Amino acid sequence: MKIALLGNPGVGKSLIFNQLTGLGVEVNRYPGSSVELEYGNVCYKQEKTEIVDLPGIYSLDGNSEEETLVRTFLTSGGADVIVAVLDATKLERNLYLFVQAAEFSPKMIAVINMIDAAERQGMHIDAGILSSHLGVPVILAAASEGKNIDRILPVALGEATPARVHVPYDHHIEAALKSLEKTIGTPIHMNLLALQGTGDDPVLLDAAGAIAQEISMRHRMSVSQIIATNRHNYAREITSAVIKRTDRKKPYDLDSLLTRTFPGIPILCTILFLLLLSVFMIGSWMEGIIVAAFTSMIITPFTALALPPLWNQIGFSLLIALQAGFGIAFPFVFTFYIGLSLLEDTGYMTRAAFLADRAMHRIGLHGQAIIPMVIGFGCTVPAVMSLRLLKTRREQTIAAVLVTMIPCSARTVVIAGIVAAFVGIFWAFSIYLIIFVLLILTAVVLSRITPGEQFGMIVEMSILRRPQAKLVLAKSWLRIKEFLFIAMPVLIVTSILLGLCQYLGLTELFEQMVAPVTVTLLGLPVYASTALLFGVFRKELAFETLAVLAGTANLGSVMTNVQLYTFAVVSVLFVPCVSTMAVLYRQLGARIAIITSIYTVFLGLFIGAIINILMK
Amino acid sequence: MHPSLREDYLEAVQLFSEKNTRFPSYEELASALLKTVPVVHSDMAELISGGDVIVSPNGVIALTVQGKQTGTSVMKKHETLQCFLSEILGMDKTSASDEACTLEHAVSDETIDRLGKLIVTHDNHQHQGKGRHRKFAGERTCRAETEDFCQSPGISEFSEGDVVIIQCIHGRACAQRLLDLGLVPGERATIRRKLSNGALVVQVKGCDVAVSPEIASAIGVERSP
Repeated sequence: MKIALLGNPGVGKSLIFNQLTGLGVEVNRYPGSSVELEYGNVCYKQEKTEIVDLPGIYSLDGNSEEETLVRTFLTSGGADVIVAVLDATKLERNLYLFVQAAEFSPKMIAVINMIDAAERQGMHIDAGILSSHLGVPVILAAASEGKNIDRILPVALGEATPARVHVPYDHHIEAALKSLEKTIGTPIHMNLLALQGTGDDPVLLDAAGAIAQEISMRHRMSVSQIIATNRHNYAREITSAVIKRTDRKKPYDLDSLLTRTFPGIPILCTILFLLLLSVFMIGSWMEGIIVAAFTSMIITPFTALALPPLWNQIGFSLLIALQAGFGIAFPFVFTFYIGLSLLEDTGYMTRAAFLADRAMHRIGLHGQAIIPMVIGFGCTVPAVMSLRLLKTRREQTIAAVLVTMIPCSARTVVIAGIVAAFVGIFWAFSIYLIIFVLLILTAVVLSRITPGEQFGMIVEMSILRRPQAKLVLAKSWLRIKEFLFIAMPVLIVTSILLGLCQYLGLTELFEQMVAPVTVTLLGLPVYASTALLFGVFRKELAFETLAVLAGTANLGSVMTNVQLYTFAVVSVLFVPCVSTMAVLYRQLGARIAIITSIYTVFLGLFIGAIINILMK
Repeated sequence: MHPSLREDYLEAVQLFSEKNTRFPSYEELASALLKTVPVVHSDMAELISGGDVIVSPNGVIALTVQGKQTGTSVMKKHETLQCFLSEILGMDKTSASDEACTLEHAVSDETIDRLGKLIVTHDNHQHQGKGRHRKFAGERTCRAETEDFCQSPGISEFSEGDVVIIQCIHGRACAQRLLDLGLVPGERATIRRKLSNGALVVQVKGCDVAVSPEIASAIGVERSP
């Protein structure tokens, strides 16, 4: 048996999925944050049942990647039973998707989730009446408390039936559906889609297109609008029959503070600043412990083994890569993910997107682009992965370049370790200033030259609620696993390659080759180029390698302030790390990955040269 | 100039521009209409003064809004008539096309509408001009939506706290997401928040939806009584 979970974004589908399958937990409150399908197996009454978590969607009519995916899944009979998950507090809106799915006539059951929240708002849902309206079993559940989740499997496997839902469409639409069914012989859900211009049967599309034109002329309204209105009205009828409302005192509306320009924007800035500050403080403290422990417990014993030089080099590179991965992943990225999950689970992230919309419009993006940007301060890899929630290629391209320029936590380490420590805290902040000016300039230019159409923001505001520690941790854990899965292999391979280059003496050759650039253009010591090269592999390694090559941790004694400052600026700006390049390539293709890399190299060298010339 | 000659020209330019996605030169238009270049030159002068076409300095003939309207309308009449004559009456394609060329200048809009409907109901397997027909349908709905259908002011013209009734979603045909979130004609919506740039939070069906200014301006509403 195969069961699929279907529902709007943020209805608690993923949570139910994880409770059913017993894997980790992730609550997706962001539209489209779970594009890939998640599968899980569970045994019920000695029978293996596969459960699929479909991406959260609002409708089956659209042409977005997620909607098309779910539609194909339904038409191809991807599951034996569809478990429709609905948010009790937004029942009417959620029924809209339910009636659409019902038109594909799969076996279904309905799970009304968040029934606890609905009760608190004074809404009482009568499961019996709802079940008689929909023609399928209805379960009232509260996934956050685990209430009635155990009933889902028995009911889904035993009592699921095709829903008895008949939306009373406008009589012109009904006539069109009948005539299409008669003349072409296609089922109703295909005809409805064809009337809205979706489908792959040319004969049907052609006939439906002509009728749709006729209908929209007559109604002075597009067919999609008519169909959507009919469905929403039907959903409203059902809802008014099954919900009884009692008056509750409305809780204080926090949004009157959060979504106004004042004090909303100061609050937003404070929250982001505190997030970054705490990630940095906690991160550097934890990193120190992890790196020290790793060095004393694994690397020192390994070097003491005194293996043959080649093997020693390879093993050492491998261990360094692991140290680098864990040293950045857990202290910085994981801490950041916890903060991020908190912002998402409280529902604040959608407010941030709304407030940021104006600023983002200036640079050719819209409010939702703030999410990749914020994530970028933690780590560029997940930031690039989150670019998929931007709708158009144009927005993704602009945001991709910007995100790779944002100082991630590893770059913050470079700035802090080199500039703040040896040159001065004021100079460290000036680097941020330089980066932001460059970011804005790049953004303005990109928004002018990037082809494509801009699509504004349409985001459903999440409900503000208290986050649950367990869910936040579990979500962060799932994300860090994804991060390690992508970043680790790249780190290990690059580290070993670099190690081999060093072993074969290629790095010295490289130093000699680029010496004109390093020495003449940037005014840096010759060995700085190797440090910069290592920075490609992991940004803060630029700083550590520099210390190793300089032969002292007191960099101030071997390099001038200008040299240190130039080195930091160049290494922060130039080339995203290899993990970023890998994920850029995976997410947006080779072209964007190459262009971004080349652009940042030149930008880094250019700015470095300017600083060198100005300050020398 | 005879009205039918004018319509022939506009139809030919429109047809050319749809086929080649650019406008024709004098020579191309002349060969399409089987006329000589000097004749086309003198006729164009009349069309320019009539406000139907604009000729760029390098000799490219482009349609004005008015010219395009006439051109597409005649083209559609031609297609419908030809389709009716060949597919339903069974005439051979060349003579159907020739006859359509004559009839298209005299036939009324209503006749064409009704003929179109007849073709659809009688024959769903029309092979002629299939692609074009579909493209037409799309163009028609889009244009109608932006220009004729909705006269209501955009929601961005109202202020915070106002309760409005949604009349239509105009302009962006791609605003399916708004429909899915319940912003459908006839629905009551409350403006929960309006920022100075016109970005809005609209409450509809108990859910708050945030929209960018350019999306907000596409939502036509009237004040709720």
